Amino acid sequence: MQNLGGAVIPMQINTDKINFLVGDEAILCSIQYNPALPMFSDKMLGFLEDLSRKLMDDKRSRSYQDVMSYAYWIRKSSLERIKKSYNTKLARIGRGVSFHIAPSNVPINFAVSMTSALLAGNSIVIRVSDKDYEQVSIVCDAMNELLSGKHASVRDYFCIVRYPHDDEITSQISAMCDIRIIWGGDETIRRIRSAAIPPRAIEMTFADRHSIALIDSDYYMSADKKEVAKGFFTDTYYTDQNACSSPRLVVWFGDRIEEAKESFWKELLLLVKEKYRMEPVVAVDKYAAFCGLAMSAGQARLQSDENYIMRVRIDELTDNVLDYKHGGGYFYEYNAKDIEDILPVLNKRCQTISVLGIDKDNVRDFVIKNGVQGVDRVVDLGQTMALEFVWDGYNMIENMTRIVHA
Amino acid sequence: MITDFYELDPYELNSADKEEMLRKELIELTSLHKDKCKEYSNFLEAVGYDAGKINNVADIPFFPVRMFKEYDLKSIRDDEIFKTMTSSGTTGQKVSKIFLDKETAMIQQKVMVKILSSYWGKKRLPMLVIDTPEVVRNREMFTARGAAIIGLQVVSRDTVYVLNDDMTLNYDVLDDFMNKYGNQRFIIFGFTFLVWEHFYKELLKADKKYDMSEAFLMTGGGWKKLESEAVSREMFKSKLREVCNIGHFLDHYGMVEQTGCIYAECECGNLHASIYSDVITRRYEDFSPCDIGEKGIIQVVSALPHSYPGHSLLTEDEGIILGEDDCPCGRKGKYIQILGRLKSAELRGCSDTYADKYGQN
Repeated sequence: MQNLGGAVIPMQINTDKINFLVGDEAILCSIQYNPALPMFSDKMLGFLEDLSRKLMDDKRSRSYQDVMSYAYWIRKSSLERIKKSYNTKLARIGRGVSFHIAPSNVPINFAVSMTSALLAGNSIVIRVSDKDYEQVSIVCDAMNELLSGKHASVRDYFCIVRYPHDDEITSQISAMCDIRIIWGGDETIRRIRSAAIPPRAIEMTFADRHSIALIDSDYYMSADKKEVAKGFFTDTYYTDQNACSSPRLVVWFGDRIEEAKESFWKELLLLVKEKYRMEPVVAVDKYAAFCGLAMSAGQARLQSDENYIMRVRIDELTDNVLDYKHGGGYFYEYNAKDIEDILPVLNKRCQTISVLGIDKDNVRDFVIKNGVQGVDRVVDLGQTMALEFVWDGYNMIENMTRIVHA
Repeated sequence: MITDFYELDPYELNSADKEEMLRKELIELTSLHKDKCKEYSNFLEAVGYDAGKINNVADIPFFPVRMFKEYDLKSIRDDEIFKTMTSSGTTGQKVSKIFLDKETAMIQQKVMVKILSSYWGKKRLPMLVIDTPEVVRNREMFTARGAAIIGLQVVSRDTVYVLNDDMTLNYDVLDDFMNKYGNQRFIIFGFTFLVWEHFYKELLKADKKYDMSEAFLMTGGGWKKLESEAVSREMFKSKLREVCNIGHFLDHYGMVEQTGCIYAECECGNLHASIYSDVITRRYEDFSPCDIGEKGIIQVVSALPHSYPGHSLLTEDEGIILGEDDCPCGRKGKYIQILGRLKSAELRGCSDTYADKYGQN
């Protein structure tokens, strides 16, 4: 613990109900007195490099594509490249303690959130979900080994905890944090926000979002259809089509729409039947989403005759179409005459546009030109799950620093 | 016309005759609701409904029963609403609302009487309810239990609630009832787990012996809870015979969205569809109809709903059609086994509160 002059009074936190996966009570109670580190500090770059190596070496990781992607993302060369892409003329330093509320359904997310906070120069306190994911154990085990050995000097910067939904503990940690990062959707955000953060603290929230895909049918007809199907499967079924970035709507452009559709869904169905297990109730849930829209609007048309991929054709895109969404393989389809047709769905809830055969820069310019409230990200189809340091419109690392201007 | 059905015994038609009669009736109901209910007509359009292409009952479009929680689906004017039935169902806070006019309410009663009289005769019988009167008094907790009791009141007389508000057994009430009616036919009604917890277990402890050989014990609510405590249906029956000599067991399957058309248990232990309704089990992969003996999601059709478009509904229950027209009890039609509610799914995703509009609520 560093003493920054004056007496250090450890924070009073009721730790009875807290289970420490990384760190301990003493670290948590004095974490706010850690000196902040500069952005991309050698200490943290070194720690992440070694974490990457440890994860790749852990035999358990091999069965988890998400752990492997994370390890690859934080390897030395990848972080060096990221560092180079940042403007280093401005002196940036961490803000202090970052408090992360991780979502319960994406196991590796806590580590992704942590990585930005560390590169920004902050201490971290992460509440992970009660669910006992092996991915969480793999990462925490590796961290504990590093923090009790080679990287003991940064040991005081880490607390990863589990505690039951408890407003008191959340309030106490919130009261001492400088950045609060809330994942996990609208309800979680509403609940956590009843706990105040200090006046100088900032907050980043990741609300419920949805995403869409744009496909040029002429381009698709000459593309590698198996590869496209693989990419789209990763975008959707790999996360039960329930990640914020998973497309819910496919908008078709060009002159060969009908043939393209037929081939696209046929190829996808082969993969889905091979790799995806759908619970019977999901068939009912998806059908209920369709009936919901059908009853209210009367412009939906059920296209599919099986339930693994439930497709609904929409004749006119309206602002509320995607309110009737469901995961597990439920898609709206729309044949566009012009890109302007999609404007109504580019509302605040729309996060990622993935594209095939359509220029990303053109789509970005279209978003900006029209001043729509949604769309934070335009990526190639198949890449919606890629880990990135810019998310939901935030530059994650820079946002967690402050500039020391001179 | 529904009145044509009244001429028949509820279990007299074989599959071909029933299919013919029910199909015609359901096509008429589909067109009635198409004209009178905007949401339903939108729905028919979205599934590409064409009356000319309906070759059998299984071709009639269906929608998930939970849509009654999302929309006020009715085919009558507001001033024609005679009664609104509500049910919390099992999937959360939203309630189903079922709008009845006088005609549909009357049809429901009439059919219920016809079906049940096939089991215990035409006379209205006194009814002992294994529940607290609170279950129908308090609209806040008005549930499937309350709805079932109210439904049965039209086929019974002198309803007596035998549990106190704290769910203890009221022996004074029980003794009074038995003194008055114990020597004649009477109904005992209760949900399976309540009968087991608060009736059977209590009687076991008491040193009094009751002879209920004249009673029809009608149960509902499914068996999941008891089976999880390792109480099988057979054990339930044999234990109740032991402790109070129950003469007849009559389990049933039904729902507030299709009140009147219950699937009641025969002497052979099978749940029967009457001529007024039917069950189609469907494969989750593509909603195609299952074969006899194959597990599937239960769709129910009913000729009763005239005031709301509830004549063809996809439930969230799983079941098996055990056979058709050949139950040894002599009743024609399908007989089924209910396996209970579909297991709810937990989808991955960013949002841990994934209680979307049409999902888990």
